[in-house]
Amino acid sequence: MRFLHVLNKELHDSRKGFIIYGVTIFLVMFVVEVIAAIVSRFTGSGHIEIYEGLFPGFLFLGGFITTSVMFSDDMFSKRGQHAWMMLPASSLEKFLSKALLSAFAYPIALVLVFAGASAFTELFTLITVGDHFVMFNPLQAETWKMVLHFLVIQSVFLLGATYFRSVHFIKTVLAVGLIVTVAGLFAALIARIAFAPYLQGFFSPKAFHLSADINDLMKTTQGLSIVVDIVYWALLAPFCWFTAYLRVKEVQATDAIQ
Amino acid sequence: MIRMHDIAFGYGKRNLFTKLNLNIPEGNIYGLLGMNGAGKTTLLKLVSGQLFPQRGIGSTLGFNPVKRNADMLSQIFYLPEEFPLPPMRGDEYVSLLKPLYPLFDQGAFERYRDAFDIDPKQKLAELSLGQKKKFLLAFGLASNTPLVILDEPTNGLDIPSKSQFRRIVASAMTDKRTFIISTHQVRDMENLIDPIIILHDGQVVFHSDLANVASQYSFKLERNEHDSRTAVFQEKVPGGYMIVTKRQKDDEETNVDLETLFNAVVSAPSAFSALAQNSIEGGVK
Repeated sequence: MRFLHVLNKELHDSRKGFIIYGVTIFLVMFVVEVIAAIVSRFTGSGHIEIYEGLFPGFLFLGGFITTSVMFSDDMFSKRGQHAWMMLPASSLEKFLSKALLSAFAYPIALVLVFAGASAFTELFTLITVGDHFVMFNPLQAETWKMVLHFLVIQSVFLLGATYFRSVHFIKTVLAVGLIVTVAGLFAALIARIAFAPYLQGFFSPKAFHLSADINDLMKTTQGLSIVVDIVYWALLAPFCWFTAYLRVKEVQATDAIQ
Repeated sequence: MIRMHDIAFGYGKRNLFTKLNLNIPEGNIYGLLGMNGAGKTTLLKLVSGQLFPQRGIGSTLGFNPVKRNADMLSQIFYLPEEFPLPPMRGDEYVSLLKPLYPLFDQGAFERYRDAFDIDPKQKLAELSLGQKKKFLLAFGLASNTPLVILDEPTNGLDIPSKSQFRRIVASAMTDKRTFIISTHQVRDMENLIDPIIILHDGQVVFHSDLANVASQYSFKLERNEHDSRTAVFQEKVPGGYMIVTKRQKDDEETNVDLETLFNAVVSAPSAFSALAQNSIEGGVK
């Protein structure tokens, strides 16, 4: 019950920002689609589908930026931190209210905004320009597959939002880039050591005869792919959520810098 | 209600408290005094769980403040010196937050709000600092939390509001409630705060109620300087010298001048060691 009140407060606090964001999405879609419909009508070229192109941008880029700033004022701002820390709710409730909004409410709201805005825009272009009515389909599998990927990757930005005290989005991107680069170099080093007999210099292959059974190689690759899938789909998000929660639990007044 | 035992805390390499001890029982309006940088706000943040001690154990309302338990937070109202208010109307703010304070009394809120002359339909962002403070104070008093922490509450209040503040806080006081008021403006708090806690050099150097002080010390304004051998403390003030002396058997009890008491304690904490024997909370620590 208390959690619902905290969630309600969080929704209320974020309401204005989300409305402005929703209106921006609508205007971008409307202007781009109307221009595309006019161009299509007068040049005789085929109808250009814009929604499938715009949706991933707003979902991923918009969602990651939104997530990155979600804790900024409440955890790291001298002005906003006091009220949040003294709000009569547990650290878990405070964390979940923001995490659920950015992870679940955001993509669902985005799908609904896209569907609604595209229906209005398509109706408008149908009446004014006589363009085909091809609205954004919220039920297509591709959309929800993207949302699933968003849920996983967003957790990294959620962790970045609680871990870094400022410039959360850029620092998260840089940190992920650094981790990926280091992991890649480490994997290359291991590969260089493991396949030393077949390589010369850094990575120039020696001429050799591959005697391994192609089926064994495929099985090994598939095994590796399952491990990667498990890490990506089952472990990454829970790890990031849990670590982010611990950071929320440990935040102090001294963390406020802005 | 509040216990701090051997608390150590510092910012970076600067130690603020090394072994701070404090025990605050419920049911009084405590005045927390100290010079700039003495650590008053830091102490309040340690009590409320916004800062974690580097060493030592704290207990607030029976909870470990570090855990920021929701039940503990619902029993504390803390009005900081500076604060933002969300961009919404006063009545929206109340309806969003009052469910989180189980003892919130809507009728009391409306009484306090009307006494402070705050329009509930007005946007909070449009209120002046003083009005915002009065709005939050009305909310905090109506929340009926057992612990109310006010950090420099009279800063930004106009002259009529200061006396209004004293009257309303006094009326909201019950045996079950404890107020801790941190302030530099001791004149604003006269006849309201008692006991007094003074922080100095990272320690609680004074912790006593005013009746205890008045029973042992005399505070007098004299035209000429007093004999330094018999004066516990004296300072030049407009119109003469403010003298603190040990009270003799036949001396009449005098009112305690808070500003003089503060200056006296800060200049010579050990001079008030006699209070330790009579004070409930141990006098000078």
